[in-house]
Amino acid sequence: MSRTPQKELVTGAVWHPPGAEIPDVEEKLYALSNQCTDCNICEVACSLVHSPDGMVNPLLARLKVDHSPQVGRKAVHPFGFAADICHHCGNPPPCAEVCPTDAFYYDPKTNVAVIAQDKCIQCMECVPGCPFDVIFVAPDGELLKCDLCGGEPACVDACATRPEMNNAGKQYVRAPVLFHTDTAGYRAVLQDKPERKDEVGMMQAMLEAGTVSSAA
Amino acid sequence: MESRLLRVNLTTGDCKVETVPHAMFERWIGGSGINNWIMWEHFLTHDVNCDPRGPDNIFVFGVGPLAATGSGSGIKGRITFKSPCYGIFGDSAAGGKFPYMVRFAGFDYIAITGRAPKPVYLHLCDGDVEIRDASHLWGKNSAEAHNTLVQELGDFPSLAHTLTIGQAGENQVGIASVVSDASRIHARGGGGCVLGSKNLKAIAVQGSGGVRVHNPRGLLNWSKDFRQKIDQNEAIYGFKRRGTLGAVEMYQHIGSHFWRNNQGNMFRGDEVRSDNWVKKFHKYSEVCSADCYIACDGRYKLDGTESEKAKKYVGESFRRPEYLTTASAAGALDLRDWAEVAHWGKVTNDYGIDNQDLSTSISFIMELEQHGLLSARQKAELFDRDNQSLEWGCMEDVEELMKDMVFQRNRFGEFFHNGPYYGALRYSEFRGENFMKYATYGKGGASFTEEMRPFPTWMNNMAVASRGADHLKGIGLIEKFQRRDLSMKYFGRLEAADLSTPVLKGACTAVVENQVALLNSYGVCLFHWMLDPGGYTPEDYYGRAFAEVTGIDRTPEELMRDGERICNLEKAFNSRLGLRREHDTICERWMFEPCPEGMYPGKVAADMFETVLDEYYEWRGWDQRSGLQTEARLKSLGMDDVAEVLAADGALVRA
Repeated sequence: MSRTPQKELVTGAVWHPPGAEIPDVEEKLYALSNQCTDCNICEVACSLVHSPDGMVNPLLARLKVDHSPQVGRKAVHPFGFAADICHHCGNPPPCAEVCPTDAFYYDPKTNVAVIAQDKCIQCMECVPGCPFDVIFVAPDGELLKCDLCGGEPACVDACATRPEMNNAGKQYVRAPVLFHTDTAGYRAVLQDKPERKDEVGMMQAMLEAGTVSSAA
Repeated sequence: MESRLLRVNLTTGDCKVETVPHAMFERWIGGSGINNWIMWEHFLTHDVNCDPRGPDNIFVFGVGPLAATGSGSGIKGRITFKSPCYGIFGDSAAGGKFPYMVRFAGFDYIAITGRAPKPVYLHLCDGDVEIRDASHLWGKNSAEAHNTLVQELGDFPSLAHTLTIGQAGENQVGIASVVSDASRIHARGGGGCVLGSKNLKAIAVQGSGGVRVHNPRGLLNWSKDFRQKIDQNEAIYGFKRRGTLGAVEMYQHIGSHFWRNNQGNMFRGDEVRSDNWVKKFHKYSEVCSADCYIACDGRYKLDGTESEKAKKYVGESFRRPEYLTTASAAGALDLRDWAEVAHWGKVTNDYGIDNQDLSTSISFIMELEQHGLLSARQKAELFDRDNQSLEWGCMEDVEELMKDMVFQRNRFGEFFHNGPYYGALRYSEFRGENFMKYATYGKGGASFTEEMRPFPTWMNNMAVASRGADHLKGIGLIEKFQRRDLSMKYFGRLEAADLSTPVLKGACTAVVENQVALLNSYGVCLFHWMLDPGGYTPEDYYGRAFAEVTGIDRTPEELMRDGERICNLEKAFNSRLGLRREHDTICERWMFEPCPEGMYPGKVAADMFETVLDEYYEWRGWDQRSGLQTEARLKSLGMDDVAEVLAADGALVRA
């Protein structure tokens, strides 16, 4: 069986010939649906960061909290929604493979595949081409794909679940929870049940922080 | 900064869109400030003494400029109307995704007047408005109506988000509430009754538009700073897990609950006494409103193993009960099982009724029974059935009485549908005997399930809040948490944090009311501010975000004056309705009965009440004898037009 020849992708201005070594994406994001609270702040922050004129609109975001996810493809929150974000698949990514105009190129800074809007003809081949349904179409037809914000993803910063409390031995450990950057950490947290976490009460925390007088 | 106001006249079916100009934001900030002004203007051309259930009343929905911009401080939509249950100013806030989607649908403010000839719902989609038939929704509870609408409207251009009313609103029960997205309640004041009287079952929105921010880079920087500050705050971690439920433990500690109609102030029952609801019931964290860095809400789903009573409610899933749900169930009604408390939260939400007013009305009747003041015949008169038991902590009795109220089945429902104060008055009249000392209320209206007597600022809040007894208008954090740093910051003295003296307590209410008015006008949640009231100050810290979003750059002093202006407009509305100093009062139980237990036994509100009230009027610059606003103060706030209207109504003191 003959393999379909791989599409050629560009890293910045440099063409990679078929079969050549293309560096992996150094940092990947995994969205944890079981920790997601459906606050939509990642969508809002994403659209604000990518908006040239200060327009906030979740439909312009490059990730989505999906309320009618296709069960089976992804981990779904028990209350029926799934946080979707680009998985930055190995090279070449399926979205780029189906592109008829080679509009995808590798951002030299982050090594992720992004769309060159001037080359894109908005044929939307990449939308079903993506196995995770994470290429979105803006109301004006523009194709939206995660570009990791040039290395500092706004969604990770903004996530409401980001510093979930884990106070074993009263040490507050703050780790980004919803958006994990490594596979092992992602799996560990995915299996973690929220109710298993030990905790202190609000009163105790406030007493310790000195925001409430103990005489109160 | 500009936004759009949708005016709907349901009688004629006219819908028109107006621009809310930049000048409006400069004067009224947004959110509740602009809502208040829209209502004020409406009642300049309509009779202010109209029947709140009539077509002349106005229902305003509004959402402030900071909402849905990625500021991370939560979103609160606000409804404003003339309250049908208390007959005074009424407003109420709730989260959910509805206010978020309203902005994306192209409207920030919706003003509804008139009365539709048959049940209708309003559909807003990307700038278009349609009044649609709602006969298939009528009779459904708030959650069913929401689910039907969401299924019907599909997910293009976005999922639908709704405001709905339950059966209580349809039957025009005075204390009916409006439910946002089937789980967040605009409970206070009877907004559901206003919508019910207008035959408006629901408002559904879908949108794919956007919201423009004046300076996106500045807002992102502010938001980053806010997030880092929140992460460094230790109190946030308890709050994320428990939300306001954490207050159960704290209030048990200081004796600040409302047990059995405030005959006590601590919970009984081992289960509800602590906030271990979280350990047993909490399944998943949930966000209350979109765009929030805290996400303090949670969701439960009962499988019957949690407790003995949970077996009755297997499969039930709803939001975590928050503090006042717990206070009304475990406190006022003495339900001692968390499953029942959670269930109480769900059914009041589904029927669309305020659980504060409902629980205090029921506990009033239960206390009469406890003192042997109800004979079998008198109970039969009240409930139209024999052998109605009225036992503290009995969920079956509570549910029966709730249905009496929602479906207006008997005299109990009829008497108490405007809350415990008017209920107690009517029942006293009916029996020819004075039972007012068993009723708990403030400012002639609502009641509130928290202990007031040892806390001078809180009792002052109950007496002066513009929408009737209420803690959210001027929440007394400085005093209850004994925050000396805040006392020093705002007054340069320590007394405001000292519970034993009335000094500076009225001042506290006045200052905090201004701050809360600002937050409500920004359209954000109060809890971010409450976690660190000295750090995230509405006039300074939030003021910067307000400047980034709207381009209106104000100093903290100017913003405090803006807050004061908003409070004064609410007061002016009440003054037009004839409210004077004698209406700024609280019930006999809080006033004269000594506090029975807790950390401050023996305290009565009457010790400090008048002194604190005088001080409040002094800080507000209002007349102490009549309680009315003065011309000089209103003019100094740039409210000459309001002063003229008040003078024409004889509700202004020309000092």
